[in-house]
Amino acid sequence: MYKKYGRILFAVFLLALVILPSTALVSAQDMTEVGTPRATTLIVDQLDGRIDNPTQTNPYQAGTRFNQGLHQLAYSNMWEINTATGEQFPGLAAEMPEALNDDFTSFRITLRENLAWSDGEPITTADMAFTIDMVLNTPEFPYHGFLSQVVDSYEVVDDLTMILNTKRSEPRLGYTLGVHIWGDSFRLVPKHIWENEDPATFQNYPPVVSGPYTLADVDPNGNWFLYDKRADWEHTDVGQIFGEPGPEHVLFRFYGTEERRIIAGIQNQLDIFTDISPEAWDILRDANPNARAWHEDFPWANFDDPCERGIVFSNSQEPWDNQNVRWAMALATDIKSVGLATFAGILRVSPLAVPPVQVIHDAFHKPMRDWMTEFAFEDGYQPFDPNYAVDIAAILADQGVEGLPESEEALVDLFGVGWWKHDPDKATEMLQAEGFTLQDGAWHKPDGSPWQITINSPSNFEVQSQRLAFAVADNWRAFGIDAAVQQMDSGTFWSQYSRGEFDAGSYWPGCGALPDSWDLLDAFWHKRHIVPIGQPAPGNAMRYDSDALSGILDQIAPLPSDHPDTIPLLTEFEKQFIVERPWLPMFGTSKFVPVITTYWDGLPTADYFYEGPWWWWSLFKYHMPFIQPKSDG
Amino acid sequence: MQFAKFVVTRLIAYVLVIWIGITVVFFVPRFMPTDPVEAMLGRIMTRGAYMEAEQVEAMRATLTQAFGLEGTLMEQYFGFMQRIFVTREFGPSLSMFPTPVNELIGRALPWTLGLLLSSTIIAWILGNAIGLLAGYRSRWLSSRTLEIIAIFVYPIPYYITALILIILFIHINPIFPLFFSIRGDPPSLEFISSVIYNSILPAASIVIVGFGWWVLSMKALSSSISEEDFVYFAKLKGAGEGRIMTAYVLRNAILPQVTVLALQIGTIFNGALITEILFGYPGLGTMTYNAVLQADYNLLMGTITISIIAVATSTLIIDLLYPVFDPRIRQR
Repeated sequence: MYKKYGRILFAVFLLALVILPSTALVSAQDMTEVGTPRATTLIVDQLDGRIDNPTQTNPYQAGTRFNQGLHQLAYSNMWEINTATGEQFPGLAAEMPEALNDDFTSFRITLRENLAWSDGEPITTADMAFTIDMVLNTPEFPYHGFLSQVVDSYEVVDDLTMILNTKRSEPRLGYTLGVHIWGDSFRLVPKHIWENEDPATFQNYPPVVSGPYTLADVDPNGNWFLYDKRADWEHTDVGQIFGEPGPEHVLFRFYGTEERRIIAGIQNQLDIFTDISPEAWDILRDANPNARAWHEDFPWANFDDPCERGIVFSNSQEPWDNQNVRWAMALATDIKSVGLATFAGILRVSPLAVPPVQVIHDAFHKPMRDWMTEFAFEDGYQPFDPNYAVDIAAILADQGVEGLPESEEALVDLFGVGWWKHDPDKATEMLQAEGFTLQDGAWHKPDGSPWQITINSPSNFEVQSQRLAFAVADNWRAFGIDAAVQQMDSGTFWSQYSRGEFDAGSYWPGCGALPDSWDLLDAFWHKRHIVPIGQPAPGNAMRYDSDALSGILDQIAPLPSDHPDTIPLLTEFEKQFIVERPWLPMFGTSKFVPVITTYWDGLPTADYFYEGPWWWWSLFKYHMPFIQPKSDG
Repeated sequence: MQFAKFVVTRLIAYVLVIWIGITVVFFVPRFMPTDPVEAMLGRIMTRGAYMEAEQVEAMRATLTQAFGLEGTLMEQYFGFMQRIFVTREFGPSLSMFPTPVNELIGRALPWTLGLLLSSTIIAWILGNAIGLLAGYRSRWLSSRTLEIIAIFVYPIPYYITALILIILFIHINPIFPLFFSIRGDPPSLEFISSVIYNSILPAASIVIVGFGWWVLSMKALSSSISEEDFVYFAKLKGAGEGRIMTAYVLRNAILPQVTVLALQIGTIFNGALITEILFGYPGLGTMTYNAVLQADYNLLMGTITISIIAVATSTLIIDLLYPVFDPRIRQR
């Protein structure tokens, strides 16, 4: 009797096991798990993982997250960025801000015509005025402190025009209130929705938005976010500038570990990846013929991420306050071995304070190559090695890498203009001149104590910087310095950086996506930001005190980006930066951000470069009109 | 009188454990090298905003005030105690400000409890049943086979077991979902079936890894009890095999297993971090981990306080129930 029941139970269990998954599988082929047709749903990797507060979409609250599609698709900004051209362009605004006086404190701002919120109400200067007033009157918002130091007053001229007066000179108002790297915090909100709410506590879900997609549904557990294309897309800036977006739905999904993300790519359940490792890319391209990286062949990765990686010093502490010691560390570093150990040589070198993204590479790195080659120390020694690209290509060719360019010009475009020579003898000479001694193969400081260097490194994030730290430590140990890597979680890593409580670290104070990177250079290097060690730094966490660099930055500050003196002065900054060598920038960031083309045409690649592969930036919405369902699908 | 003293002693210990635990939870995060204001500032500044020093300071002041981190450490401590015991709130999450910690925990806790409670109990029942058979019927082929399986599975690290399941049942033979997705609203059939379907693999991974220990410990206990005089006496008296196994061996062997189970049930409130990461399962584990990384004091204190109360409460319940299971304690 019992056996009979047992068998029945077992059969029911087996049946459930078969029916449940097969139901899901049938639907998975044509439909996504969230109930949208797969062929019209673009599925994007969710960069920040699970979002535990998925319905918090108030763009001004401190804990609101944006990388799950909110700022990529739902919120448009006043001014956006095109990383292909290296220029800003008007988003919600009709034009770039028009300065009304010579000291850049008064501007005319015009909105595009026929823009509408996702509920059909027109977007006007009343919304802009409301947004400014709301932020200025809500001290609970972190952005309140920022905006209250920018905006002095405003005057609404008509529905589309506003005169904005600023408290200080703002020659780059497009940067201040617009996007020039990842996104921007100044986001218009609809007055008719918000005016009866307490903005500090208003959750704003579901949000009424200005962008081309609306947030249609979210997973209560924060694992996915579904966006629907607006029926009135022509009333958005994206629609007006580039036309109708292709995907009907965009699904941001969190798959979990890299293994699961790769499985998702192999099973065509994910169309767009954020960062994966080079090793994972090898597996993905072998398993799915429709997987496509930025380049079709070697080097696969995109080199245009806007932050370069290298080794930073706590410059106010000995021995890093000594320019010759910093230079010695550059010459003690074999950049080729570091590049090979970090990302198998799939990197573009940078000797400058700005990253080697294409537009900056063309504006600074390449034009300065001859100057760097001729640059010499006071004793006549020329430290620059312009042959890096040719040499690393030869090494990679020996390793069996195919598809490398042949001309030096193309190799320089790919691998960079060059870096500093690996010259341990010269490094030894320079250190000994500063009182360091080499005893039994180990370096000692001028006071006789053994020289130990601790390099802070990310532990479970930013893998390029993590690997780079270990590669540099290996180099410096081979040179005779007791160098060790200390890995730490992001909170500790950044806290020590901000407080200056570190020795050296694989941080990345060299960012920019546009040729005019004054604001970031100023934040990283101007001496007015310096605070004592132990206090959180508002900028210049390296505590590098240079009158020369700060002086040049002061000269650039009042100039707008298109002023004829801006780029020459920035070039002067770079030259002085090389002389003083306050940190060791090494490589631009290589991003393995592949796509799966099974369902989609028009995803950006190196061959179809209308915009960089920055799926987690606010500019992603401008990709949408280019991305279309597969024509043969 | 004796029983009243027994209960009062344990209740005092219970309150003391909770108070000390919560106090430690309050102070320890504040000695971490991270700071919630700096973590939030870092997040805002890495978004590319350029800020003058005064703007950064203004933002820092705003966040410090909003996060309730003003005042001395002791003032913050008393405020925290008051919040917990008077209003029973942990305040807003600092990394997801201003979402209340209670709301975040309330959303994650049912997932953690549902998965870990069911898988822990399944592993416990399965492991003890097999262990009992293996100990009492050690010559049976099936007993030995099951014991060998347990010995083989027990030392495999959880991460490996979970990855093998993912590769076998999600990648090679995709009968379970890659993407954790719940459809429908509770308590609809669609919701229940979707929860079960999505939870089978994570639960199986916990059961597989967990049941080995129960098998081995129960086998050791039952085989030693099987040799006791009172078991021989029962056999001589003519008691049936089934009765001897359940009423004589199992009843004596189960006591320590119940104690360990109670303690395990307490610790499930910590969540299952690796399970959540590997299977994309929602729950308290990832939330607590992220709270540590982002120095989210309030969220950290919320999740750990719940865990402390759960462990202390389950220990107290076991203490109070022990006389019911064990007549020797009742006699004392």
